[in-house]
Amino acid sequence: MKKRMALLMTGVLAVASLAGCGGSKTSATTAAPETTKETQTTAAAKQDGGKLTMSWWGNQVRNERTQAALDLYAEKNPGITIEGQFSEWSDYWNKLATSAAGQSIPDIVQMDYMYIDQYVKNDLLVDLKPYIDDKTLDVSNITENTMATGTVEGGVYAICAGINSPAMMYNKTLLDQNGITVKDYLTIDEFEELCRQIYKKTGYKTSIVYGTAQTYLDYFMRAYDVVLFGDKKMGGTKESYIPFFEMYTRGLKEGWLIDPGVFAEISVGSVEQDPMVYGSSPDTMSWCAFANSNQLTAIQKAAPEGVTVGMTTWPSPDPKKSGYLKSSQFFSIGAHTKNAEEAVKVLNFLVNSSDANNILLGERGVPASSKIAEELSPKMDPINQEIIRYINEVITPNSSPINPPQPDGASEVFNLLNQVQEQLCYGAYDAATAAEEFYNGANKIMSQK
Amino acid sequence: MNWGRVGSAPFFEIFSLRTEGTYLNHRKRESFRQFMNKESTAGFVFSLPFTIGFFVFMVVPMGLSLFYSFCDYNILAPPVFVGAKNYIKMFTDDVIFLKTIGVTFYFALVSVPLRLVFALMVALILYKTTRITGFYRAAYYLPSIIGGSVAVAILWKRMFATDGVVNQLLRLSGVNSSFPWLGNVNTAIWTLIILAVWQFGSSMLIFLSSLKQIPVTLYEAARVDGAGKVSQFFRITLPLLTPTIFFNLVMQMINGFLAFTQCFIITQGKPLNSTLFYTVYMYQQSFEFYNTGYGAALAWVMLAIIGFITMILFATKRFWVYTGGV
Repeated sequence: MKKRMALLMTGVLAVASLAGCGGSKTSATTAAPETTKETQTTAAAKQDGGKLTMSWWGNQVRNERTQAALDLYAEKNPGITIEGQFSEWSDYWNKLATSAAGQSIPDIVQMDYMYIDQYVKNDLLVDLKPYIDDKTLDVSNITENTMATGTVEGGVYAICAGINSPAMMYNKTLLDQNGITVKDYLTIDEFEELCRQIYKKTGYKTSIVYGTAQTYLDYFMRAYDVVLFGDKKMGGTKESYIPFFEMYTRGLKEGWLIDPGVFAEISVGSVEQDPMVYGSSPDTMSWCAFANSNQLTAIQKAAPEGVTVGMTTWPSPDPKKSGYLKSSQFFSIGAHTKNAEEAVKVLNFLVNSSDANNILLGERGVPASSKIAEELSPKMDPINQEIIRYINEVITPNSSPINPPQPDGASEVFNLLNQVQEQLCYGAYDAATAAEEFYNGANKIMSQK
Repeated sequence: MNWGRVGSAPFFEIFSLRTEGTYLNHRKRESFRQFMNKESTAGFVFSLPFTIGFFVFMVVPMGLSLFYSFCDYNILAPPVFVGAKNYIKMFTDDVIFLKTIGVTFYFALVSVPLRLVFALMVALILYKTTRITGFYRAAYYLPSIIGGSVAVAILWKRMFATDGVVNQLLRLSGVNSSFPWLGNVNTAIWTLIILAVWQFGSSMLIFLSSLKQIPVTLYEAARVDGAGKVSQFFRITLPLLTPTIFFNLVMQMINGFLAFTQCFIITQGKPLNSTLFYTVYMYQQSFEFYNTGYGAALAWVMLAIIGFITMILFATKRFWVYTGGV
């Protein structure tokens, strides 16, 4: 009894001393009802699951638009509040993993193709099939191919939030001034010829996915029918990777490849700091950037005034074979949700509601629902119209399904790839050594998974 | 101030009356009052925030991390015990691990002594008290406060860029330089070392205060004996400062091995892992590759390394640290 009292008193004392710090009695008395009210509401919310969270990565535009769309849903459905949590790409995955470990993954999760496999295998996402069957989630306007990208081992775990495709952005103004035109479906030879010509005429160099080579390698290898990841091993042989690295060695030898030192000074992967739009002299800048179609808006925005950005396919030994459509990102439902039903309704709202998409305006890519995409298209600015044209006319007729999601260990393999690429660009490796180091190292990583 | 007494008057009386309510409890209340008024109770209560924090945020996570270091753990799935596999892999099958050890030792062993020399030099300059010494002391201490921050790291990155301030200053002084300081394997680590040396403030303050404790009479006697400034420094100042130097060396060495922000923000280990600090590699393994078990093992090896270095420093103490009186 004495002990319990002591404990109680300690608590009271702590409160009293805190209130003492505040310096007034009123603050303590007014604070009390507030806290009880808050605990009551959270308790109530826990019971009926009226409070949902949604997390995503992205940029300022996306943060504002998504939160506005979520607020609209809350307005239409009294008793529901949805809290948006947003972060940068790299922080996002740390945060999501930690919340998953703490059994508190957000109700609605923005998911990426690179991580989907891992999250599904660890039972962290909800299978949406039952909700599609009972019509809570309407997918009738989404193509089968698009649905397939969110399907893992027969279950639908993710719904496409926007369609995009790899796209090479280029400084159209610069090339026009020098009478150079770029066509779609460039082969590697044509691309290199272009690089040479541009370097000779303008001094502008070429940057080829330095530090973020994974997606391009994947794309490149598709031309040779090589899928990067097999079962606990890499696809192809070490010889099949040589042509990819040879492109860099030729660029270094002929001088048109940008110096790797440039990348030590910028945040790799940041659109605003891409050598195509960032830098002070042609020597440290590139005429092109390897990106995704939905990033055209951001790159155009980051480009210096008076520069028009053009968009074409990534070069590849066989561009029509390499091309694919993908989900720029997905929406999934976290497995720890207390109200999956409501979360699915929100997801349905984001994907199928005209009201929501009038706010979102295709910032995540061309809307997956063909009906919404059609509705939205006249409301879009010329840049977004161009993106839709690119997807519909350039990519769709010449593409094949995307490769299966990357398995566990992929991020380590990609790190190795970028390290090998670094060695190559600093002249420590030749193409054959690079291919060998990458192939053997990656196989070792995969065999341990 | 005695909080127990202040709080115990009417407030607690009401409280205990409400819960117990009868005259029988009068005695109990007395003993409770006595308990609350004990010095040790107050001590425990006031140390509670720290103690709870220490256990919840230090001891428990450390224990967990020790456990994880013997597991295959990827954050998403529950840990699987695998014995010493992580440790074996580290020493037999991980070239980057060895590389980061090399980089971290190079960084710590170069930047810490340089920083101490710098700190001592500035402390000697600021030793004489004039009207503006206070300002200078604050000014020199400033980098230590802001130096570890992200903002300064980003500033540093811009300064050493090809078109950054450093190259422009060089150009002003006639050298036509567009040298990629951050992109060159040999110079990149030095940008981090210079940043570390620049944060000499806290060591400087400690040096200053112990400089002031050296009795002036010693210098007077030395002057009478005909000793110059230089031999005064080497025969009086330096020997009497050795305990402080030792303290600074140990503390800064530990900090040096644990440096993270500079590398994480400025270089990310580039180029060619020539600036990849151990702690950043640990972070990459844990949170970027999701090899959290391996990351935990890396952390424990670092602990052992720092412990070992500190032990060596203490072992050499008796050879060079003057511990006698003045």
